[in-house]
Amino acid sequence: MSEESQSGMQCLDFDALLSEAIDGTLSGAELEQFEAHRKACASCGPMFAEAQHGMKLLRGLAEVEPPANFVHNVLTATIGRAATTVQAARPRESWWERLRGGIRPALGPVLQPKFAMSFAMAFFSISLVLNLAGVKVANLRHLDLSPNAIMRGAYEAQARVVKYYENIRFVYEIESRVQELKRATTPEESGPPAEKEKDRKDRSDKPDRKYQNYSREREAVTMARLFDSPPLADQVFARRNS
Amino acid sequence: MDDNQVVASLVRRCAAGDAVAWEEIVQRFNRRIYNICYRFTGSQHDAEDLAQEVFIKIYRTLKSYDTDKGAFMTWVATLTRNLLVDHFRKSKQDRVTDSMDEPITAEQDSISMAERLEDVGPSPDARLQARETQEMVHKALQKLSPELREAVILRDLQDMDYREIALALKVPEGTVKSRINRGRTELARLLSRTYRQVS
Ligand SMILES: [Zn+2]
Repeated sequence: MSEESQSGMQCLDFDALLSEAIDGTLSGAELEQFEAHRKACASCGPMFAEAQHGMKLLRGLAEVEPPANFVHNVLTATIGRAATTVQAARPRESWWERLRGGIRPALGPVLQPKFAMSFAMAFFSISLVLNLAGVKVANLRHLDLSPNAIMRGAYEAQARVVKYYENIRFVYEIESRVQELKRATTPEESGPPAEKEKDRKDRSDKPDRKYQNYSREREAVTMARLFDSPPLADQVFARRNS
Repeated sequence: MDDNQVVASLVRRCAAGDAVAWEEIVQRFNRRIYNICYRFTGSQHDAEDLAQEVFIKIYRTLKSYDTDKGAFMTWVATLTRNLLVDHFRKSKQDRVTDSMDEPITAEQDSISMAERLEDVGPSPDARLQARETQEMVHKALQKLSPELREAVILRDLQDMDYREIALALKVPEGTVKSRINRGRTELARLLSRTYRQVS
């Protein structure tokens, strides 16, 4: 180790400034001397590079998620009961509130009304599909997963505009489901004629093949859904075979 | 109200017996405490036990925390660190100390360290490689002495400043800086040695 370089800074001083230099908080004459020594000293130069590399590796370590029951266990071990006081303070927590409480630390700033609505709508879509497949969401009531509970939770965090927008989306979703259903039960002439006309006009500048693929895809999706629901599927097959 | 004020008010409410405030504290700090324990002990199981012990200790001694004296996290880090050191002393006797020269390898080992560290593009393998790199860094961290390990964990993983770390470790700031420097360089050397041995 060379004790002193031309710049006048010693290795010991270099070491003392190393962490700040890596933080980028050195400036002025101190930084100049530091840089001069880094370039000149055969041991401090590589050391700087290693320290910097080590820092990058360490900072690249992602935060790990504690086990799912960790908070519960801590509360049980400290106050003897897991969050019962919290529940006493807020007597009737819905499924949505519990979920929101659970994910609040991680998603805090993201948990805005419109996201709440999106969650609710995602659930709605699923429950509609389930309904078409013959599963009644009401049967899952003991889980408090009914649309009513979800919507109640969501509306508690509502914003007027979002609500309006999502209501329209909801109506649209139902309409499109019904249309799909109609289309599937009358395989040859699918969709209302007005819509077909409009679609053709819209796509007149595009190759026809693409459009056909598109509708075939849609039919496949609908068919796949219907296979989950035997009575309807049988109907279709009966009609196809006759 | 800034974050410190929020925590100070939570601590006051909790000390007055407000269980809701305690739950809020647990929610706020469980990730940080668990992560310190996990990176220090290297094992999820030990981390879970120790982090729980930390919360029990916080809960029991919360009244002794003086909100004017310093950030709550510094106080928490001090408690955590003391428990980790105790744990380390206890486990040291009945543990076979593994050699510093033993190569640190991720489970599926065929790509060189340099490739792993440099190739972080959007390829499908990138995420796997990033995970392997993390695994190797995590293992290398366990090979550092406890003094160096705790210093780099508090600085580079918990982003605490030198003064806070000095308070938590009860050593001068200069010592903190030199431990951080040594911790980082040793870690980099351990992994570059692994690279040389693997390739
Ligand atoms: Zn030097």
